[in-house]
Amino acid sequence: MNAPRKPPRTGLGEDVIATIPDTGRVVETAPAKEPQTPAEWIRQNLFSGPVNSVLTVVAGAFLIFMLYRAFGFVFLNSDWRVIQVRMKGYMAGSFPLEEAWRVWVSLYLVVALAGFSSGRAVQIPRGRAAIARAIAVTVAIVIVGYTAQSALVRLLAVGTAGVFIVSNVVGRLVPHPTMRRIRLWGWILIFPLVMVIVRGFDGVPPRLWGGLFFNLVAASVGIFASFPIGIALALGRRSTLPAVRMFSVVVIEVFRGVPLVAWLIFSKFVVDLLLPPQVNLPDIIKAFVVMTMFSAAYIAEIIRGGIQGVHSGQYEAARAVGLPTTRMMAFIILPQALRATIPAMISHFISLFKDTALFSAIAVTELLEASKRLGLEFIGQEAQTLVFAGLVFWTFAFTMSRWSQRLELRLGVGER
Amino acid sequence: MASSARSAKPPLWRDVRVLRIAGQVAFVLVVVLVLREMYLNATFQLDQRGRSLSYDFLDSRAGFGVKEHFISYSPNRTFWRAFWVAVTNALVVTGVGIVLATILGILLGIARLSPNWLLRKLAQGYVEIIRNIPALVQIIFWYTAVILAIPRLEQSISLFGLGYISNRGAAIPTLKGGADFGAWGLFLFAGLVTAFFVRRWRTRVFDDTGQPHYRFLWSSGTFVAIAIAGYIILGDPFTVEIPEVGLRSLVGGIEVSPEFAGVLVGLVVYTTAFIGEIVRGSILAVSKGQKEAGEALGLRPSQQLRFVVLPQAMRIALPSITNQYLNFWKNTSLGFFIGYPEIINITRTMTNQAGHELEIFSLLVLIYLGVSLGLSLIMNILNRGVALRGATG
Repeated sequence: MNAPRKPPRTGLGEDVIATIPDTGRVVETAPAKEPQTPAEWIRQNLFSGPVNSVLTVVAGAFLIFMLYRAFGFVFLNSDWRVIQVRMKGYMAGSFPLEEAWRVWVSLYLVVALAGFSSGRAVQIPRGRAAIARAIAVTVAIVIVGYTAQSALVRLLAVGTAGVFIVSNVVGRLVPHPTMRRIRLWGWILIFPLVMVIVRGFDGVPPRLWGGLFFNLVAASVGIFASFPIGIALALGRRSTLPAVRMFSVVVIEVFRGVPLVAWLIFSKFVVDLLLPPQVNLPDIIKAFVVMTMFSAAYIAEIIRGGIQGVHSGQYEAARAVGLPTTRMMAFIILPQALRATIPAMISHFISLFKDTALFSAIAVTELLEASKRLGLEFIGQEAQTLVFAGLVFWTFAFTMSRWSQRLELRLGVGER
Repeated sequence: MASSARSAKPPLWRDVRVLRIAGQVAFVLVVVLVLREMYLNATFQLDQRGRSLSYDFLDSRAGFGVKEHFISYSPNRTFWRAFWVAVTNALVVTGVGIVLATILGILLGIARLSPNWLLRKLAQGYVEIIRNIPALVQIIFWYTAVILAIPRLEQSISLFGLGYISNRGAAIPTLKGGADFGAWGLFLFAGLVTAFFVRRWRTRVFDDTGQPHYRFLWSSGTFVAIAIAGYIILGDPFTVEIPEVGLRSLVGGIEVSPEFAGVLVGLVVYTTAFIGEIVRGSILAVSKGQKEAGEALGLRPSQQLRFVVLPQAMRIALPSITNQYLNFWKNTSLGFFIGYPEIINITRTMTNQAGHELEIFSLLVLIYLGVSLGLSLIMNILNRGVALRGATG
């Protein structure tokens, strides 16, 4: 969409007559504003009155104090070598080093898919956005360059950026319908594919997974595995059969009403009692199953919202052409409902990603647990190890939430 | 012939009503069978260990200490008591926390829309940073990196000799009731009632004559005067207890443990960011005409916000804020990670002491659900109170 063009500027205070381009219509507009000088801007935005001035001074003092403390923490009082030494632990936990290629291959695949599917949505920023992007990229390069243990790791990390750019160009060149099809199937198949790469061919068992890799995998399990269950529960909650509806309501509310920590502890210490004695599942698998149910309850509510958002005319139309309920749901209602839930799904994924920190309750060396153990090892440096874990969580959650905001705009959810 | 065929009942296996009932019976049967299988598995495994499913153990001696309790407790009390200690501990954090988070959240939401550029950006930065870091990371950070880094007991920070802050906890002065403390409470109540009527009287004077009402000054002045009068009449109904630095802990006053502070600060900081965003969205959702109408009446910007925009915004915000309260309640479980004796922590200890994993877990589920239900009931009643009367949809 083109931004509306500004009317030509004449003198200050006069009524302005502007011609709308292409139509030739003449309209009266507000008087054009005189361009602001920096001093005017400061007066208007920071010192427009006594209250405002006090607020500016207080907020400014607070900001300077925080920046001063942050500067001292980052550059003077901390020894960041700890992070450098244990970078692998942060990223992959006790994943064997000789198998690390599996993680790298998976990472490259995901990055390639992300680059491909963002296609034309990625634009070279201009103006202030360009400066912000440049600063972010510089900081990222400095952090990665500093924390990477070897030249190889540095090279591989830089390689991800290259892969992103190349796949993005490919995504732009491929004709749009084909690109959309590949994108859809890519995102559906990427998770099973990564699981095969990591687990298959004498791969690495889940108990050795850890670090950021574990957090991302756990959050993906929480989305992909719980999707079908979530749909089933959502449909069940809207079912006209009272027994099915009540069952769905109870399952959804019980799983949503109890915190995830409790469910993880349930999976480790309680669930064995309910299973046949000969069944002997690894802790991680049990935790994943329970988390899947937890996530499915949330997904069910998201999908229910989506289904309720589908216009009733769609149901009537489906009935009018004589579709039975199952086919009406599968071909008419759900495709529309699911499309509308994509942003909500992404924000669920983000909160699930943040929730994976709770796996430290059952002694999985995920990102937070890795940093906690590092803190025990290097007494007095707990703050650094935690701050780094927080930074990694933040980077991912923030990037995804920005992406979701843009997607929301593009899908035009809530605008139809 | 044709008409009789139409009126004849369809065969049973094509009759929708029969199919619906049969389907549900089958569904219930499957659910019951699965539950029965679980029950049998549990009893079988417990049998092998010589135990059984029973809640009787709850009345036996707990035998473990709890660091922090708001209701009286000792290791000689029952498991039930220990469980209620856990519930009250979680409830106290929730109660204090949601009040703080609501106040701070409203301020944050207003700051997000402030005409002051610096304040606006600062508030935005706060939201963007806090919302995207897991609450657990933040709680552990506050606990280990901030609160435990506070000077030790011997060098505790003194607040003008009235209170102390140390990594063993913080203490502030408290009132210690004497014999007439209850009677003084009656004075306070009387003061409150009188203040209410004084306020109404001042409002009426203002409405009738247009003289400045000063109703806040009048009513609070009345209250303080009656409270002081009661204090003098009864003669020292209470004493102020000032905490002291003891050998191993702070003695006297209201004490706040580092764990309590860690959970509270972590969750309040976290939830404030979410409530702030809700409040911001709700203020933006109030029609612009409302603010302009306030302006036309000659209200100052602060008055427009307080009397016109905020009341309507809170109506929009209330359901989402309720969700945040429920999240806060569930997030108290994160106290487990820093050793705050909340529900997860205590039930883990109970399980270690007594076994009975299933029974204890069922209690846990019931209490989390029960409190959530209670909270949403209260908020629903509140919501009904503020909802637009006669509004459609």
